[in-house]
Amino acid sequence: MGLVYRLKDAVFMLSEMEIRIIEHKIIPEDAELICGLPDVGLVGAIAVAHMIHKLDLREVAYVESDMLPPIIILENGLPRSPIRIFGDGNIVVVSSEIAIPLEVISPVIRGVVDWAWRRRVKRIFTLGGLPVPNRHEIEKLRIFGAVSDDSLLKIIEENDVEVIQRGFLVGPQALILKYCAERSMPAIALLAESFYNYPDPEASSIVIQTLNRIMGMNIDVSELIEKGEEVRLAMRDMMRRTQTELARMRKSHEYDIPGYYIR
Amino acid sequence: MVIRRRRSIFDLMREYMEEIEDLADEMFERLMERPSWDVGSQSLEPLCDVLVRSDRVIVTADLPKVDPDSIRISGISDDMIEITARMRVKVNFEDLGVTHRRGEFTCFSCRVPLPVPVDISKAKASFKRGILEVILPRKMGYEIRVE
Repeated sequence: MGLVYRLKDAVFMLSEMEIRIIEHKIIPEDAELICGLPDVGLVGAIAVAHMIHKLDLREVAYVESDMLPPIIILENGLPRSPIRIFGDGNIVVVSSEIAIPLEVISPVIRGVVDWAWRRRVKRIFTLGGLPVPNRHEIEKLRIFGAVSDDSLLKIIEENDVEVIQRGFLVGPQALILKYCAERSMPAIALLAESFYNYPDPEASSIVIQTLNRIMGMNIDVSELIEKGEEVRLAMRDMMRRTQTELARMRKSHEYDIPGYYIR
Repeated sequence: MVIRRRRSIFDLMREYMEEIEDLADEMFERLMERPSWDVGSQSLEPLCDVLVRSDRVIVTADLPKVDPDSIRISGISDDMIEITARMRVKVNFEDLGVTHRRGEFTCFSCRVPLPVPVDISKAKASFKRGILEVILPRKMGYEIRVE
């Protein structure tokens, strides 16, 4: 009897630990998945918000888990998950309206990558920023990249993306590249030079323009630049929450120079 | 038989450090648990950052929609400065997509505590791309001669 109860407890605990992707609609095979989770300068988060707006993407799925903080986002008086997946045709994006707590970043990203693998997603892009201390003095932002598989290096180099040859990556991009490499799923991280602590719509526009080149799209970014101040004002609170999680995950590790090695 | 394990000095130190870390986290979180706006003074709290260098402290703040001529920086004490700036246009909750709250905002305002004392009279400030940067020289101590 005791054993049965203990088994029930164990099953209950496992279900509590689970990340579920609840689908309203099955996405097509060979979809391109674009992740823009809150990170430095909210570069990815602003970029996917802009894509959702410009491409008129609709919610196709959401992330559900008891491990997430007890937060919903209300839309027209109705509850929505703060971490959602939007799409139209083969363009699918992952967006979060909350800073993802350090404790759940790994399970959430593993959940999303596993789901993408089951749905036979063609490749995953992850958009973000590469923090530079003197960002406010830089006129022309550079764009960097890293990939899950060496066959993808050519794609990013052909599209004027500098490869990060050696250095640390921390947070959502790091995990997406890692889990995709494990599953032999193609993944490309596109990172524009950005502010660390301040929302950076200009960096988001650079990332979208690069994505336009790679995917043959034509998403207009002029609005992001023109309404940059509005975006910075609107993103202030999300940035504040994200800063806390960035500090907890030791994001500053990205500034570190890897130890000595012999070529 | 009860085996009593004595805690080593290292265990005690680790526990002590963990306690301090928890306390710091808790204090930080409590600071976060308030709105970033104040309807009473019609002000928004800007995003700020403090960087300490060997000879200076650099304070930056993100001030979108601000009139550059209205930025005021004042020293409250040798380890705290106050930044205020008026916005070119009023912003209300509805502009930010929130309809269940009332109030409008006309300025940014914050007090930034500095981790080390500075000489505020020698501070320099610039405003570029909507980012305010204040460079404050650190207070000099006594110089020790190397023999």
